[in-house]
Amino acid sequence: MRVIECTDLTKTYLRKIVLDKLSFSIEENKITGLIGRNGVGKTTLLKIIAGFIKETSGQVKVFSERPYNNLNVSLNSIFVDDQMSFPPAIPLSEILTVAGNFYPNWDRELAKRLFDYFSFDPKSYHNRLSKGKTSTFNMIIGLASRCPLTIFDEPTTGMDAAVRKDFYRALLKDYIAYPRTIILSSHHLDEIEDLLEDVLLIKDGKKQFQMSISELKEWAIGLKGTTEEVLNLTDGKEILFKEYFGVNTIYAVVKNDFSEFLLNKARLVGVEISSVQPSDLCVYLTSETKGGIDDVFNKH
Amino acid sequence: MSLTSINLWETVKKQYFFKLKANIDAFSSLIGIQLLALLFSFGGVGSVGMGGGNFSINIKYYSADLVIGFTLLWAFVTAITITTKPYRNHDFTFVTNRLSSSLSNILFLLTASIVGSITAILAGNLLKILAHILLDGQIYSINTGIQELVMGVCVTIFYVFFVTSIGYFIGTLVQISKLFIILIPVLFFGTLFLDASMQKEPFLVNVFTFYTMESALSLFIIKVIVTVAVFFTAAISILNRMEVRR
Repeated sequence: MRVIECTDLTKTYLRKIVLDKLSFSIEENKITGLIGRNGVGKTTLLKIIAGFIKETSGQVKVFSERPYNNLNVSLNSIFVDDQMSFPPAIPLSEILTVAGNFYPNWDRELAKRLFDYFSFDPKSYHNRLSKGKTSTFNMIIGLASRCPLTIFDEPTTGMDAAVRKDFYRALLKDYIAYPRTIILSSHHLDEIEDLLEDVLLIKDGKKQFQMSISELKEWAIGLKGTTEEVLNLTDGKEILFKEYFGVNTIYAVVKNDFSEFLLNKARLVGVEISSVQPSDLCVYLTSETKGGIDDVFNKH
Repeated sequence: MSLTSINLWETVKKQYFFKLKANIDAFSSLIGIQLLALLFSFGGVGSVGMGGGNFSINIKYYSADLVIGFTLLWAFVTAITITTKPYRNHDFTFVTNRLSSSLSNILFLLTASIVGSITAILAGNLLKILAHILLDGQIYSINTGIQELVMGVCVTIFYVFFVTSIGYFIGTLVQISKLFIILIPVLFFGTLFLDASMQKEPFLVNVFTFYTMESALSLFIIKVIVTVAVFFTAAISILNRMEVRR
């Protein structure tokens, strides 16, 4: 079953196009990573899916229904980010009770245990929490609500490394016990790549690609060797990323469609062949210009 | 994980109880504001004095009408407050749509109106007791039966609820554009002064008399209910198209 289906989804704010004819679908019970640079429309997309904001044109279906103003979509999905707001008059422990009243699959036991594990004060209030603590608390709500569609938008904002690790582990454990559709948007692809099954990469409001993480790992290769050899090898191909080392050495990343024969030949002439980390690859694929920050400082 | 479904009224009911808890501060400010009004009422609302050769009579009137006035003001502010962004965002943390959010808001405002009206009317009795304890001098009070009391409470509820519907509508307009913060007072006072300067009965005075000078109770109730329904329906249809958490 497809949980989310978008066709030609477009969203404009005034005259600025945020999402541009985006089409994709997400299958049931998969963890999908939504990856993209800052300001490409990740949050906008997730908010449309959650029914907070309206699409300008195109179609979006969540559980085969339009999410905007839809009670059933709201009941079966939860949107977790650091902007989640709770009434300042209700103490933290009582917020858990309130959330339990609203969400039918709420796991009181899990919420309580996570609450105690991260040592929250039951009498404290949500608006007094620090940035990292806020994210942690919201994450507890997101996990314990056990919604068939759980959306985490930058869930680790402000969390320290230990809590981030705990969160990923908790997410994975709970997902295995109660499989559900999870969308995770994050800047730390290297941290979450072990969790993800699929990756949806967005660039400038458009879908760059959607593929499984294992495909992504083999999608590109890095070649390092003398400039002449490497350029010879990558002739006619789009170089996604290149970096110069010293005088005559270059590292280039290209799409991996070399034959085994060609790769062996390359190895013989001294070109180092390496796989490319998915997180690095996503950065290369979504970079605005070919080249890097170094070029800013290089005087021509 | 299997999907579940819920109907509108179940959601509204859950949100209503959630809002009673979340907006508990509104009720504490109600107590504060009514106590303040009582304090002001304690000076008396009017006095008549007369004297002869070797006597003088001073009559002071005490009434808790000011408490009702303050309650109306409180109701107006409360209604505006719950249309603001943070309050709408609280709903969207949990299960909601725009209609259920508004309906539960209206139920909350109705509850607030009932609580506010009962305490406002009873504050009149509190004033009598306080006057009896603290003031020396003969105290006369017009004894009103339970029927009067109930009617007083009912009519007050209608007035307060009426004011909340206006507040909710104005609050909603402000959510569309902050320009209404300026526009509404300008229109309000503008028509008052414009009509007055043109030597005719201001339009708003006519509106005011239309509601407050109605002597037939049933007619008054119908007028209020229809107006309240119009304001709330307008507010709901505006809020229905508004995006949240942008």
